[in-house]
Amino acid sequence: MKQFRSMTYPYVLWIAAMIVLPMLLIVLYAFTESGNDVLTFRFTLENFARFVTDSVFLAVLWRSLYIALITTVICVLLGYPIAYVIAQLGERANTIMILLITMPTWVNMLVRTYAWMGILQDEGVLNTFLGFFGVGPVPMIHTSFAVILGMVYNFIPFMILQIHTSLDKMDKNLLNAAADLGADKAHAFLRVTLPLSLPGVISGITLVFLPAVSSFFIPKLLGGGQYVLVGNVIESQFLTSGDWNFGSAISMIMAVIIMISMYFTRKADVSVASGGKE
Amino acid sequence: MAEEAKKLIQFKNIVKSFEDGQVVLKGVSLDIYENEFVTLLGPSGCGKTTLLRILGGFLQPTEGKVLFDGEDIVNVPPYKREINTVFQKYALFPHMNVYDNIAFGLTIKKEPKDVIEQKVMRMLRLVNLEDYARRNVTEMSGGQQQRIAIARALVNEPSVLLLDEPLGALDLKLRKEMQHELKSIQQEVGITFIFVTHDQEEALTMSDKIVVMNAGEIQQIGTPTEIYRRPVNEFVANFIGETNIIDGVMLEDDLVVFEDKKFPCSARGFERGEKVDVVIRPEHLDIVPRGQGMLKGVVKSQLFKGMHYDTIVETRAGTSITVKMQVSQDKPVTGGGEKISASGFLLDVEDAAELNDGRIIALASAEAWDAETEEPISIKTVEHDIKPETGEYSVTFATAAGTSITVRAMVVTENRAESTVYQEEIYAMNFFKKVEDIQESMALDTDLKMWANASAWSLEDENEQVEITDVKYDFDPETITPGVYDVTFATEGYEYKVSTTRAAEEGAEVGLIFRPEDLHVMKRGGRR
Repeated sequence: MKQFRSMTYPYVLWIAAMIVLPMLLIVLYAFTESGNDVLTFRFTLENFARFVTDSVFLAVLWRSLYIALITTVICVLLGYPIAYVIAQLGERANTIMILLITMPTWVNMLVRTYAWMGILQDEGVLNTFLGFFGVGPVPMIHTSFAVILGMVYNFIPFMILQIHTSLDKMDKNLLNAAADLGADKAHAFLRVTLPLSLPGVISGITLVFLPAVSSFFIPKLLGGGQYVLVGNVIESQFLTSGDWNFGSAISMIMAVIIMISMYFTRKADVSVASGGKE
Repeated sequence: MAEEAKKLIQFKNIVKSFEDGQVVLKGVSLDIYENEFVTLLGPSGCGKTTLLRILGGFLQPTEGKVLFDGEDIVNVPPYKREINTVFQKYALFPHMNVYDNIAFGLTIKKEPKDVIEQKVMRMLRLVNLEDYARRNVTEMSGGQQQRIAIARALVNEPSVLLLDEPLGALDLKLRKEMQHELKSIQQEVGITFIFVTHDQEEALTMSDKIVVMNAGEIQQIGTPTEIYRRPVNEFVANFIGETNIIDGVMLEDDLVVFEDKKFPCSARGFERGEKVDVVIRPEHLDIVPRGQGMLKGVVKSQLFKGMHYDTIVETRAGTSITVKMQVSQDKPVTGGGEKISASGFLLDVEDAAELNDGRIIALASAEAWDAETEEPISIKTVEHDIKPETGEYSVTFATAAGTSITVRAMVVTENRAESTVYQEEIYAMNFFKKVEDIQESMALDTDLKMWANASAWSLEDENEQVEITDVKYDFDPETITPGVYDVTFATEGYEYKVSTTRAAEEGAEVGLIFRPEDLHVMKRGGRR
């Protein structure tokens, strides 16, 4: 393998230029005051202090974590049964179902979120339909319900795919073995299928929680500005207020929180997957 | 032992066909007694695993009944059966350690913790893995996983243990060890083992009873000795161990004729003159000086195997026929802006009597064309001296402009040879070929057979093809030049596999001896 080592240099350069350098810039911005020029930096912790002392920002952070958590829980509860049923289907039906699940992701997420706006508005499809029965209009858009709905809708395919993969690659003979040893269907599921699919659930959680916690356009479009999440705050610091230093500091705080949560899910993943390898 | 023991499992006329119409079991009936070590033996696809899966409850038979202790269990789900299985690739639960794998069945039954612990530890001792209880199963070797799978099944105290090719994934040495271990475990726990394998040696080593299966049907049921010494048909004889099978005829009880000699044997119940297959195992034959032999032959090959030599002795050559192959270069002749081509041909004596020019042109594929435009030109004259007698003649084709080519024609009689002694006939024709056909042939023996239309069949039954195993010629296909060559086709002679401690040189003329009681006579089975 050694003779191929020189072939990695372009990639190392690419990673340095495209990933490491921007990260370093964020760190630099986060720890400095605004108004720096290229040569003089005035280091400060002011940006971080501002975030943790302002109750408004803390409330936003709390709300982001809360909404991401709810979204993730709903994705697990909805996604697992769907993935399980699909895995039971024959090979053809299985392929078609997976195709149907992934199909929406071929359309831009923004477009799909706009479509939800049309559905959820007071004069939207759903309320018009309810109007036929004399109900409503029920306020739906610009509620936390709308935000969570939008997130679940956008991120659940990742959950289903992860769980489905782990169920699909499970040796079907294990279920025969469980039945052979006296386990009925319920026992076989609880003792064999569920524990063996947990690694899939955990990577599904990672794939849903991370984008959910930092999402900014779903709360912006479906929450109508009333549901400001961390992503929106960061966005406005960069695009509206022009305070790149403060924006960078918030980004760094989020990165640390995400890293900590990743560490714990990884740990859980390792403990259930131990022995899951060949 | 089978007489006093009670029937534990009865398969009654089990038929299994799958959705694609494939019939895997064609009416299998089998009784299995208590405490037996039964082996289902057969080549892959014979239905043995399907039968096992039906017993385990993982497959439903299309027709038929499975009685367990006298009760039909076809509709009983697997988790309610008193049967446990050791799966082909063990199917151990990867997320549990050794202890939890073995305890699985007991925890499902909600047995008290201390009882579970006792039972599991006892099983671990039985399979010699006491120190590995907390190990992860995925870290264990194949042999250890295998033993865990056995312990996991046995801990539930089933009355039957099913083993689906459990030794298939192990290397040879470990496999031998496990064979002994399995047998001693079975004797220790004293329950019925039903073991599926395609390895005849494994079956012979371990079983009380062997069930030989082929193509969804039971061929023979018997003890290992019975199956080995008295196979009922050619399939069983060939599948179990190395063997020699010779065509014979029963003269009377205890007297069989083969290779034109009478031999005493112990075989009754055949009709006088009935055609039979005679079986002699290689280890029952021995090589002696030619004069003392009951059969005489030539050593074709000998391989040293450590304890003995695997020797092949041919007692007669096959029926053979030699034909002539005419090899030509076949280049078109050019002259006066024209080209003309034709190739040599063969014709039968009867056909030679009634020839006309058109037929000769067709036989020789003669054609002429304009060298530039490639427009065909008709052949005006055909000169020949062909007579309706066998021989070689020349034929000249010419166009109106006088461009001509001369080829050879051969008049032949039908070419066949028969051997009345061995009741075989072989047929082949002389043939013409171009140099490049021979040089470009990928499988020359097969092509030669096809070009010569060579075939051989039994004189007793014309539909019974005899394989031509030998094609001989004395040219080098790479460097062949136009000319006439001999090609000889032959059927296989009688060859005996002999397993002996005596060394013999290749080509030596030797005799073969055997004892009358080592001859086994069976009904003539369909030859493949």
